[in-house]
Amino acid sequence: MAVARPALLEDARPPGVLTRHDLHGDTVLDADVVVVGSGAGGATLAAELAEAGFDVVILEEGPYYGTRDFTADTSAMVRQLYRDGGATLALGNPPVMYQEGRAVGGSTVINGGMSWRTPDKVLARWEREAGLAGIARDLEPCFERVERRIHVAPMDEDAIGTDNWLLKRGADAKGWSIIGNLRNQSHCVGSNRCAFGCPTGAKQSALVSYVPRALRFGARIYADVRVDRIMRHGKRATGVIGTVAGSGHRVAVRAKLVVAACGAIHTPALLARSGFRSPSGRIGHNLSMHPNVKVVAIFDEPVTNWKGAHQAFQVRQFQDQGLVFAAVGMPPSILAMSFPHRGAALGQLMDRYDQMLLAGMLCEDTATGRVRAIDGRPQAFYQLAEADAANLQRGVALLSELLFAAGARRILLPFHGAADLQSADDARRLLDRPIPARGWEVVTVHMMGTAAMGRDRSRAVTDAFGFVHDADRLMVADASLFPTPIGVNPMETIMALATRNAGHVIDHARRFLS
Amino acid sequence: MSEHRHSRTTEAVLRSLVPVICPPEAHALAGAIVAHLALTLGASPPLVRASFAAGLVAYDLGALPLHGRRARHLSPEAAERYYALWERGPTPVHAQLARAINQLMSLSCYEQPEMMERVGYRPGPWIEEVRRRRLTVHRDDVRRQEAQVLAPDPLRPGVSVRAHRREDRG
Repeated sequence: MAVARPALLEDARPPGVLTRHDLHGDTVLDADVVVVGSGAGGATLAAELAEAGFDVVILEEGPYYGTRDFTADTSAMVRQLYRDGGATLALGNPPVMYQEGRAVGGSTVINGGMSWRTPDKVLARWEREAGLAGIARDLEPCFERVERRIHVAPMDEDAIGTDNWLLKRGADAKGWSIIGNLRNQSHCVGSNRCAFGCPTGAKQSALVSYVPRALRFGARIYADVRVDRIMRHGKRATGVIGTVAGSGHRVAVRAKLVVAACGAIHTPALLARSGFRSPSGRIGHNLSMHPNVKVVAIFDEPVTNWKGAHQAFQVRQFQDQGLVFAAVGMPPSILAMSFPHRGAALGQLMDRYDQMLLAGMLCEDTATGRVRAIDGRPQAFYQLAEADAANLQRGVALLSELLFAAGARRILLPFHGAADLQSADDARRLLDRPIPARGWEVVTVHMMGTAAMGRDRSRAVTDAFGFVHDADRLMVADASLFPTPIGVNPMETIMALATRNAGHVIDHARRFLS
Repeated sequence: MSEHRHSRTTEAVLRSLVPVICPPEAHALAGAIVAHLALTLGASPPLVRASFAAGLVAYDLGALPLHGRRARHLSPEAAERYYALWERGPTPVHAQLARAINQLMSLSCYEQPEMMERVGYRPGPWIEEVRRRRLTVHRDDVRRQEAQVLAPDPLRPGVSVRAHRREDRG
């Protein structure tokens, strides 16, 4: 059978996307709405408003890459798509390494594509604690709309790789609840490159869904433009000023509504360096991170973790206790850097790469950290709580038990100086000796909560629709809005909130157009 | 992302560390590994880059009182013992630098085509194979999803901001 021509949306840079190569001097633009950031929140809100007839400009700090630009060169992809090459740290003991996308499409370009609705218990908590009455009811049609748009679906079975079937084998052997992951994908074929830009176009990131949709309805995107500050007249936001990467040319956008959608680390910094203050004093506070740790299991049989869909299943047995497990294939270079081994020992270990299964867990955290703007740049501070460290330790023991039940022969652990586990009994004995928080190697891709929604302006940064309290025409549209961590992957919640809040803007269009 | 060049000192120190960190089969790739490290550092924040470079200089000079020569000139056995000393960490800063060197060099080592081939990692042909499969076996569904992404489906049917604007002007 002949190979079809590359899909329409995978083509070269579409009209409406301008980059530093198109900006030859200082530029002044007028728009109804300027959106800072083109990820899950920014692209969704922009597409909905553009379709309703608003004149929308999106400014994105990162470059524009199309699907064809996503190659098998892992480190090149990390350098191009991740902020600071993925080397961003929240300071604490231990420091927490976190990753953010920095490209048109934002972190949706590099995430795993897990698409879950906000759990009911979380929405009930938001209603109760943040005064967001009716949010569960409001979000229901938004979830449906988002799921249709980004094609949320279970995986095709033939795209699931050995690592994920082994995870399922272990969960079944233990009698634990495991479910097929819902992901924003249209016939994912298991290239297992989600974290480095989907090279097949199957992952329906904002880059291939909401961004082209926003363009279709007339939005304009300026890539390579870092927004320095929000312009203001008194308490009213009147636009933004940014700098073009490379040339240093300035871009000013005058707008009737300003939307900060730069993620939970950069949005509070942008608000702070623009001089906005919240009556709550909480801009940048309430940072949650869903700390994440990984174990590596070695099997006798080939696992070939790089073939097959990323995180095809999730173990949900312990979700009520804040723990979710999944298998995550990674290239050898990323695994090698996670091991303390070196020299011949590293070589001997890595020679078994084909038999390795990398499994990770997400922990719903109880601690909160803070983002501070230092010289205008954000710096995150986060101290892993001992209670969360104890939960991680329990999770590692349980996950290791599961992997031994699946047939693992040896398990390498994510904390300093730990001996490898050789059996399920070793895994259970892990709990005998508490491992202090400082001993863990923790990473995350879920940053939330730093401009939280809430009715009470003395406790929340934004109102129930993402408008900054005590400011005018200034809105937030990213995971900063979450009043609490949500215990599942946040992308769909961000998109659903952006949809709901876009509806509010459309309903009050006259006010925003005046 | 900016271009990063190792200084002569840091390049020499990094080259001397390849036999300590990387497996024997990678030693012949020292030049490529150290060059790859420059690419990785180029994507890092300036503070990280500067701290790492300063750490390498300190590592180099720190061998003088112990061995009478800089780290980059140590014999293989002495280089091994000296790195192990930092790894065990007289202070947490020593241990953190040793860990950072290990992480960055291991990453660069297994980004070399020869090392990927050695562990059986061949993503390029695999990506081509599955991309082809998607665009043949699932072509119609792929097209349908692309059309759906662009099809009109207003959030508030019947509400047009353009109409508001015309009315306001009128």
